[in-house]
Amino acid sequence: MAHDTEFHVHHDSPEAIGRRERLGVRLLIVADGAFLFGMIFSYFYLRNLNVNGGWLPKGVHSFSTASGWVAALGLIVAALAHRLGEYNKAARNLTAIVVLVALLIGGFYQWHQMAHMPFIAHDDAGRPFYNGAYASNWVLVAGANMFHYIVGAFVALGLLLRGYRVKLDPTLEEWRQRTAGSWFTWIAISGIVCALATSFK
Amino acid sequence: MTTLSHAPASSRPIPNPKKSLITKLNMGTGIVVGVIFCWGTYFAMKAGRDMTDSHNVNKVLLMSMFAWSIGFLIGIGAFIGPFRWLIGKDLTDEEQLYLAVDGQGWKRYFKYCTDHKVVGIQYLVGVMALLGVGGTMAMMIRTNLATPGSHFVTPVVYNSLVGLHGITMIVAMIIVATGPFGNYIMPIMIGAADMAFPRLNALSWWVLFTAVPVLCSAWFLGGIPTGWTAYAPLSDQAGPGMNAFVATIIIFAVSTAVAGMNITTTVVAMRAKGMKWNRVPIFVIGATISVALAIPAFPTFMVAMIQTGLDRTIATGFYDANVGGSGWLYANLFWIMGHPEVYVILIPGVAALMEIAPVFVRKPLFSYNAAIAGFAGIAGLSVLVWAHHMYMAGWMPSLNGPFMVTTEFISVPTGLLFLVLIGTLWRGRPWMKLPMLCVYAFIWNFLIGGITGIYLSDVPADNYLHGSMYVTAHFHYTLMGAALTGAIGGLAYWFPKMTGRMLNERGGYISFWFIQIGFNVLFLGMFIVGAEGQPRRVADYAHLYSHANLISTMGAYSVGIGMIILLWAIVHSWRSGKIAPMNPWGAKTLEWTVPYPVPLVNFDQPPVVTSDPYGYGRSAK
Amino acid sequence: MADHESELLAPTPGARVSTFLKRKDVSQTLLLWVFFTAVFVVLGLWAYPKWMPVVLSKQMQANEDIMIWFTVISAPIAGVVLSIAAKSFLNMHRGDTPPEDGVAIRTNGPVVIVWTATSVLFCIVAIVWGLVALNTESIAAATDAPKSLIVDVTGSQWVWSFYYPQQNIHTHTLNLPVNQPVTFNVMSADVNHSFWPVQLGVKIDANRLVTTVAHADPTATGPLDVKCAELCGLYHAYMETSGAVESPTDFNNWVSSIQATGGVQQ
Repeated sequence: MAHDTEFHVHHDSPEAIGRRERLGVRLLIVADGAFLFGMIFSYFYLRNLNVNGGWLPKGVHSFSTASGWVAALGLIVAALAHRLGEYNKAARNLTAIVVLVALLIGGFYQWHQMAHMPFIAHDDAGRPFYNGAYASNWVLVAGANMFHYIVGAFVALGLLLRGYRVKLDPTLEEWRQRTAGSWFTWIAISGIVCALATSFK
Repeated sequence: MTTLSHAPASSRPIPNPKKSLITKLNMGTGIVVGVIFCWGTYFAMKAGRDMTDSHNVNKVLLMSMFAWSIGFLIGIGAFIGPFRWLIGKDLTDEEQLYLAVDGQGWKRYFKYCTDHKVVGIQYLVGVMALLGVGGTMAMMIRTNLATPGSHFVTPVVYNSLVGLHGITMIVAMIIVATGPFGNYIMPIMIGAADMAFPRLNALSWWVLFTAVPVLCSAWFLGGIPTGWTAYAPLSDQAGPGMNAFVATIIIFAVSTAVAGMNITTTVVAMRAKGMKWNRVPIFVIGATISVALAIPAFPTFMVAMIQTGLDRTIATGFYDANVGGSGWLYANLFWIMGHPEVYVILIPGVAALMEIAPVFVRKPLFSYNAAIAGFAGIAGLSVLVWAHHMYMAGWMPSLNGPFMVTTEFISVPTGLLFLVLIGTLWRGRPWMKLPMLCVYAFIWNFLIGGITGIYLSDVPADNYLHGSMYVTAHFHYTLMGAALTGAIGGLAYWFPKMTGRMLNERGGYISFWFIQIGFNVLFLGMFIVGAEGQPRRVADYAHLYSHANLISTMGAYSVGIGMIILLWAIVHSWRSGKIAPMNPWGAKTLEWTVPYPVPLVNFDQPPVVTSDPYGYGRSAK
Repeated sequence: MADHESELLAPTPGARVSTFLKRKDVSQTLLLWVFFTAVFVVLGLWAYPKWMPVVLSKQMQANEDIMIWFTVISAPIAGVVLSIAAKSFLNMHRGDTPPEDGVAIRTNGPVVIVWTATSVLFCIVAIVWGLVALNTESIAAATDAPKSLIVDVTGSQWVWSFYYPQQNIHTHTLNLPVNQPVTFNVMSADVNHSFWPVQLGVKIDANRLVTTVAHADPTATGPLDVKCAELCGLYHAYMETSGAVESPTDFNNWVSSIQATGGVQQ
């Protein structure tokens, strides 16, 4: 800690700060959970309504149900690797890299999927549109996964870099590992829920 | 995160971390970078795109709006903290002190300031500006409706006025109590040195700030035709102004989530020693329940708006029945947010008045537990009632019965709120200052808002009333008559702590009567035309309704005059009002134990709480 | 407060209540309660029939009954709130120093229980009333369906148009025979609208590519206003038309006159 003699800064205990940060992140997870709920609600609502057979119109391609699970794989691997590192400090340097790489590869795959969507049709004027409510919902779910990959990769990179800093308070950093664990677990759950939902075409 | 120790501000040098970028950044640099990002994105995306296609126009505009917001935040330094975290070089103590803008005078209000008191004042001024804009639009709406024929504005302007008045006021009302009082007063009330996450506190305000120019841009992009509910598919069909609405809501939802998480964490984790849950001031309980309810509520609105945005930019079909979409999806998502949202607005206002009543009646708050049960019951039920806005939508008539049951049951916890207030008043001798007057105005207004809510929640009566002016009058009684009155009461009550001066009493009283009498005249007229059958959001109406509409407009002007007087009183008192003593009302909550200006870390010594703050009164023997 | 002490010292609950009722502040509050209750009862009985339009159907009658009787039922509860508030308001203290402390009443179990029970009871009355009305309505809709007059309603920006399949006529006014149930099949050609024949007291949204159904039982003759109750863009305010509930003879004449012009109303 750089202490400037002129400025008296009182720090709360690392325990208190760590616990506080974890609560804050969990509350943000609640918000993200509500977002996920909104997406899943949309998916099944439009699927059950199937307005004029427009959920997945005849002749429109769709993704195989496996693709959603592959897209979630990076999130799941990252969450598991992070858990491992949380309990096994010796392996942490390695697991932190695994987390980051899993998220980067998974994120790239998700982006690749989105760039090659099979269900875009063109209207009479040649303008593209998403043919069917399945297509619309799929792109939203994929976008949410992509967002999780990006935020997750940011956190993973931070943890990796911070792992090499000696000046940081070890107690607080330990709490931050746990807090990040909440986040990684959540994005994995979210990825699984999305994959499960998109399995119902 | 870190709290900063207290020594008299004057005896401390201004922190000056010379090499740090944070000393160079302020609102000005934010605006510059934001504008560069905005125009850069605009021209870069426009190049080579067929701008006769509305989807491309929407794409370019939406992205430019988000670019403005992100650019502004980069320019004001919002991302320095996260970036420094990323590379493992956390902000130094000196830099943190600089961010709390210790001793930097008025400039701190234009910086990325982490001091909760500064953020509170920023919110207060922001709220007043939003209320001013929304109120001006209300005056224009009522002017147009003064006589039949829509002489004042054209229908397209009228529809935009209705929509932008609605959304401006909703945004303003969501933050009207939790913004200024939740940030400035509440941490002191619970004996904390600051909010749990000071940088996120600044973030929530500045993110909100970036939404304001975006919302205003709707005017220059042709307005919005949809009202604040932005129902699809009308919103899919709407012109470029709709993008401003979509972007505003998405940005605002981010701000709300951050602010809600911050306030909740602060109250859960940072209460003073000895402040058990049954000793927490009721305003803190109410504000916390309100923001905690907002955390899960707003993301569904964000989903709805992202879907609207996707429909409008890349031609998905969430709400387009031609490709399997449905407007009912939007209505469901919107109201899953929308009904909790009205309680997010209402609860802090009521809670502020519950804080006020015991102080001025000099009696304990009647049945603290009933008050908590009331708030919690309302919050719990509010997520189960959304479809009462859709009784007449035809989406699933068989659910009308169940939703009617849950909706009517909200009257039980609401009744408890009344019980707490009248129980506190019972046998009391109220000290009739402006905050106390607001308690009475609230009781009257909320009673009318509540009873009319009971008719509206009954499906058969809603058959007739849905979509009529009666609904407009009902929710103005709850949101304006109750929640805004609560916020005005709170402002009058905490004004001495926030500004160091007393609010001008005469100005306050005069404005109070102009506002309250005008308000009741205004919306009584609206109840009448609603019962007579005038739909809401109409620019013009039949001659049958002309008398009551004229009466409404008279009332509206009275409210407008009252608001101007109140604004004058606030500005005048802030500049040159009577200097306030430390505890002008003789209240027992912690915020009255600190001097003005409130020191950087609020308390010299962390306070220890030994009882709840309602220990007024002689024993009843 | 000597009277208050004597009330607490009273030996039995009955005696306590009678001392309580003899207190001056209590009797004044009671007087105010009678006043406010009466105001609300009169408001309900007088105002709604006066404000609301002529009743032309069973549904409209049900709506108006709810408006009137819910006001009357809620009057005593509103009276309690307002009388206590008014009594304390009249007892105000002015000046720059706070008044002396009042009585430290932290809570009162029986009062909280009675209040909650009353509001639950009131709530149940409202729910039962509403459910019964709703149920009556859906039974009527089901049993009347075979003998109903069918009207296909289409909302489009910004006009209403009607098609009577049994008569095979297209119209832009809504004429209905009295005492014959009618079923509206409602649809939109573009954005959402809400079909509102005002004096019939029914309302249903018009959605694109989806049909929604409303049902009404006209019981009296008179002019009818049809409006749009869902903001639908630029000329929402002007999306209205007229019509009438009329005698069967008049209705048949009206139908014939349209059939005479090729089935399309001129």
